[in-house]
Amino acid sequence: MTELDTRWDRPEPNGPVTSNLADILERVLDKGIVIAGDIKIDLLDIELLTIRLRLFVSSVDTARKAGIDWWETDPALSSRAARDALAVENAELRERLRAIGAGSEEADGGGDGGRGGAGT
Amino acid sequence: MTAHQSTLTYVFAVCGPPGPEAEALGGLSGVAPPAPVRTLAAGPLTAVVQDVPAADYAEEALRERLSDRAELERCARAHHEVITASMAAAPTVPLPLATLYRGEERAREALRAREESLLTALGRITGRVEWGVKVYALAGQPAAAASSPGAAAASGRAYLEQLRSRQRGREERQGAALRAAERVDTVVRGLAVAARRLRPHGAEVTGPRRTHVLNAAYLVDRGRERQLRAALASLRRDDASVEIELSGPWAPYSFADGGTAP
Repeated sequence: MTELDTRWDRPEPNGPVTSNLADILERVLDKGIVIAGDIKIDLLDIELLTIRLRLFVSSVDTARKAGIDWWETDPALSSRAARDALAVENAELRERLRAIGAGSEEADGGGDGGRGGAGT
Repeated sequence: MTAHQSTLTYVFAVCGPPGPEAEALGGLSGVAPPAPVRTLAAGPLTAVVQDVPAADYAEEALRERLSDRAELERCARAHHEVITASMAAAPTVPLPLATLYRGEERAREALRAREESLLTALGRITGRVEWGVKVYALAGQPAAAASSPGAAAASGRAYLEQLRSRQRGREERQGAALRAAERVDTVVRGLAVAARRLRPHGAEVTGPRRTHVLNAAYLVDRGRERQLRAALASLRRDDASVEIELSGPWAPYSFADGGTAP
């Protein structure tokens, strides 16, 4: 519960106190009034770069790649999730049983954000 | 006007007359120091510009540079810094990163061609600033009544029940976070003259322990900052299950070309 957003960022002398790179990029690349320049650089090209894929959740698919399965497992957000809910639960259950069988103890708190990096 | 062979004109932003005073831009290095960041009069408009080396800002060079993360960050922050300084001194309509012309005269022509919409944009944002509001669900926070895992796992049935209840807890938290996000959005819209949803940030930005459920920008009259802060403080008190962050004031990036009514 804090107003500061500096955990992943360094403060910027003249800017708002709270400007992380993603905040700035989404504004300077996507926003502002567009007037045709003489030098044609399609800022959407940058969309294709992993930089953008890693910083933004542009779709549920990207979210999934980024290890956020949250959306998928919420039936209210995705009808596919409703269909898959049982399969996911079964897979989780199998996984857990395997873990217990191997004698490992409680690990997962339910949130599991650690499914690898983003951006392929 | 002879076209500059060796420099291009980088336009950061457009202001109404008289635009920011020279001192307001004095200390800025811009995207290509040491050339000064300065104003350029264009009819009723004032542009904030900098001469940049043509070799570094030709299409290929630029594309290459912006594809490099460190360089993209440097350019984006420099661009943003100039716009922020300009906004502190005069109503400012930001232009996107890398808006470039082959000389001052071409920049003037382009502004003249868009004069009407630029003046409309200035009218819309004068006396107002952009605030960013984000809401995060706290991922993986244990449900209120977590049972003791070790003992329960002894029986398969109990274990299954435990998993189900964990899943239920997760769904409840997710639903609650989305509802909280809508509540926050509704309250802040009530204080704003325009609103816009931005894309949620990925895990690289948020960290693994929370999920971004609302990323929104609001155009708010300058005089309402205290009201905005108070409203968010009250929302935080009402609901400790989500994190609510405020960023700004930003130049009105998200509203230069409109935005939705609140």
